[in-house]
Amino acid sequence: MATTRSTSGDALAHPSQSASPDRPPTSKRIASAMAVDKVGAVYVWLAIIVVFSIWVPETFPTADTAKQILNSNAITGLAALAITIPLAARVFDLSFAFIMTLTGVVVAKLVIGDMPLVLAVLIGCGVGLAIGLINAGVVVVAKIDSFIGTLATGSLIQALITMVTDDTPISDAKLSGGFSDIGQTTIGGITLPVFYVAFVAIAIWYLLEHTATGRRLYATGFNPDASRLAGVQVDKLRFLSLVTSGGLAGAAGIVLASTLGSGSPTAGSPYLLPAFAAVFLGATQLKNGRFNSGGTMIAVLLLGTGTTGLALAAAPQWSQAMFVGIVLLAALAVTGLQRRTAVASRGSGVHGAGVSGTDQPGVSTSTSLTDED
Amino acid sequence: MRDSANQESGGSSATAVRPTSEYALRVSGLSKTFGATRALQDVSLDIRGGEIHALMGQNGSGKSTVIKVLAAYHQPDSEPTAAAELDGESFNIGHHVPDGLRFVHQDLGLVLELSAQDNLALHGGFATGFGGRVLWREQERETRRLLERFAVDIDIHQPLAVATPVERTVVAIAAALQGWHGGSGLLVLDEPTAVLPHDEVERLFAVVEEVRKAGTAVLYVSHRMDEIFQLADRVTILRGGKLVATKDIAEIDPRGLAGLMVGEDVDPDYRAAHAAASPDAPVVLETRDIAGKWLRGVNLKVFKGEILGIAGLAGAGVLELPYVITGHAPRGDRVTGALRLPMDGDEWHDVTELEDLNIPLVPADRQREGVIYEFAVSENLSLSILGRLGRKGKLGLREEQQAVEEWSRRLEIKTESPGALISTLSGGNQQKVVVARCLVSEPDILVLCEPTAGVDIGTRVAIYDLIARLSEEGLTVIVSSSDEGDLLAMCTRIVVLRNGVVAEELDGHGLSQQALVSAIEGGN
Repeated sequence: MATTRSTSGDALAHPSQSASPDRPPTSKRIASAMAVDKVGAVYVWLAIIVVFSIWVPETFPTADTAKQILNSNAITGLAALAITIPLAARVFDLSFAFIMTLTGVVVAKLVIGDMPLVLAVLIGCGVGLAIGLINAGVVVVAKIDSFIGTLATGSLIQALITMVTDDTPISDAKLSGGFSDIGQTTIGGITLPVFYVAFVAIAIWYLLEHTATGRRLYATGFNPDASRLAGVQVDKLRFLSLVTSGGLAGAAGIVLASTLGSGSPTAGSPYLLPAFAAVFLGATQLKNGRFNSGGTMIAVLLLGTGTTGLALAAAPQWSQAMFVGIVLLAALAVTGLQRRTAVASRGSGVHGAGVSGTDQPGVSTSTSLTDED
Repeated sequence: MRDSANQESGGSSATAVRPTSEYALRVSGLSKTFGATRALQDVSLDIRGGEIHALMGQNGSGKSTVIKVLAAYHQPDSEPTAAAELDGESFNIGHHVPDGLRFVHQDLGLVLELSAQDNLALHGGFATGFGGRVLWREQERETRRLLERFAVDIDIHQPLAVATPVERTVVAIAAALQGWHGGSGLLVLDEPTAVLPHDEVERLFAVVEEVRKAGTAVLYVSHRMDEIFQLADRVTILRGGKLVATKDIAEIDPRGLAGLMVGEDVDPDYRAAHAAASPDAPVVLETRDIAGKWLRGVNLKVFKGEILGIAGLAGAGVLELPYVITGHAPRGDRVTGALRLPMDGDEWHDVTELEDLNIPLVPADRQREGVIYEFAVSENLSLSILGRLGRKGKLGLREEQQAVEEWSRRLEIKTESPGALISTLSGGNQQKVVVARCLVSEPDILVLCEPTAGVDIGTRVAIYDLIARLSEEGLTVIVSSSDEGDLLAMCTRIVVLRNGVVAEELDGHGLSQQALVSAIEGGN
């Protein structure tokens, strides 16, 4: 997957954060890129690999397992990347899983109806974009909170799917032809979706790190009022972020249907929670608090490796869900703790505490005296 | 200035209750360390029974820490040991809050969605009958009784969100004093006027006097020096976490007080050095019939190179005008009117369509509308010019860095590095970053709203000087402020708004404190 690429990408972005125009020496940049507080999950991931290599030495530390982890988590990766952009602007898209189901069903139907494959896929992506537009209309134009708004549209989409499919999967011999190649073709044991994920991850990394739009998306997410006053078109960015996630989720749904070889009326729903888990865990990595594609990829790998390892070790069924829950809580608790410690050492949380809802000085004005003196 | 008649009687009114002990609160040897920062060093505080005692100091002087230790939110250092007594009885400061010590914190601690009655009950408990049923009639009687003393006339069943700021403050004071019968004790008011419009401050003073008349001492924390001289009997000044002095208000003047706070002689009558705009300077901005929530048709002409002040009471539209003329009226507010920039063309622009005009605004609320705390200094600064950094859609990090360095230097922004998080900067430096963000787009006109809100005297002067320097370089500046001192220190001309229209204009020799205040208040 795209992990290594994105990590080095983060290092490339560093000059913006350093004081002098000269780049710091490579060794320093690598050291800072590998710091525990930035890529802690990578160390946890390595530890998990070691643990399972000892626990199930005959099946876990093999190339086949590595490939299996990549292949079986590619769809989760695509789903998680789809919601990274809206989340950077602090917009939730809970409907993405239902969009995945819908486009899978639509494209399966079209393929069975003898439509040319390329056209069917394009229409499927178009459906995703159209739902994205509807979401954007609900959230940005009608000003309904994105969490509730996309929950509602997701429910409506599921209703539509059930209505059309009668709750039975769409399967047909025609689906095992060219359509299944989209998700099932392998190159050196690695399926195509893994390459899609790598491509999308790099594209999103470039967007968020190296374009003005990316910077504005983060600004919108952190402080929409300040961003608006600085001339950022907050509403336009939120609108487009939801259209993008709709389109990406649509594409992910087509890949999923191809992998399954059928159009299942519930195919997308299982990805809802894992994708959000990965994105939130990813936000604690690399860019400290910012939703980013590199962190998301690390998180997908970490969670995927853990659950695959548990399956290979024949651990009980419930252990996988428990693993995901524990990792999420631990990651967020650790980052929360780090941030609080950082704030306390500045002393600003102290004087700023309790100041709210007023126009008055606030957080960190307390340091002014020492600075001005 | 107040006569200190209370020095001997403990109250200025004949009906005043005499406090039961000489000192309401005595604290000594109070120290507090946060990590490497010594927030308080051996501070002592003596507040006489029934007096109004001001606590003053710049941001970071330790005022808030004193209040928070008193409220047992922070614990004092164990070495040296702090001693404290309230009305002659010692208590374990930082661990226990005696019943006679009451607080109204700066954010008032009210739930604005609830009514005055509910808010008072949240503090003092509901009158309940069998099975936990609330006895509403009794509750209502109790609420009226509590508010009666302070002569506020509000609907106790309406959500506090519809009450005026001063009414909310009074409810908060009433809530804090519930179950207290006066004659002793201490009420701590932490910056009660920070959010009050100028014309409502007097009403709060009456309430504070009322509390004192009942024999309860008041510890009054404020930034505003004029209030202290109007209200307080004595003042304690902190600087850098140390006690500087405690003085009778009668033996000190504003200049002396400012000097004690800053640690060097600072002139409260400071005037930034600037030349008035030349009389034949061209008009750079003209407005026509600007109306909105408060504004009722404002026509303005702004001349090149001047620093134009906008003054007026809250409700006159002083805080609305800067947002409207920069195209940032609050969403949902209906605003009308037009604006043109004669230097760029004769065309009138509707105030709802100003996006393409480069008129940046330094907003009133730095925390909410200015700074993006999760961003680095550089990212905050360059936000307004991202579109023109780099080419073909790729962000030019090197160009960004050059712009950031240039403006950090020009505005003397003190930061470890441009990559440091902006939250590590002092308030004044954060404000400079917000100003730099506006200037980096190289505008001809800059609009500032409350540029010194919550900024201490030293930084204030730096901001005045900065604005004067920018105007000398040809920038036209419009400053809107509820602080007359700000406007007098900076502006070459001041426009006074009353009831949403331009009522008076002051320039040249007309720029005096007295003329400005009487123009603002609308009487002659």
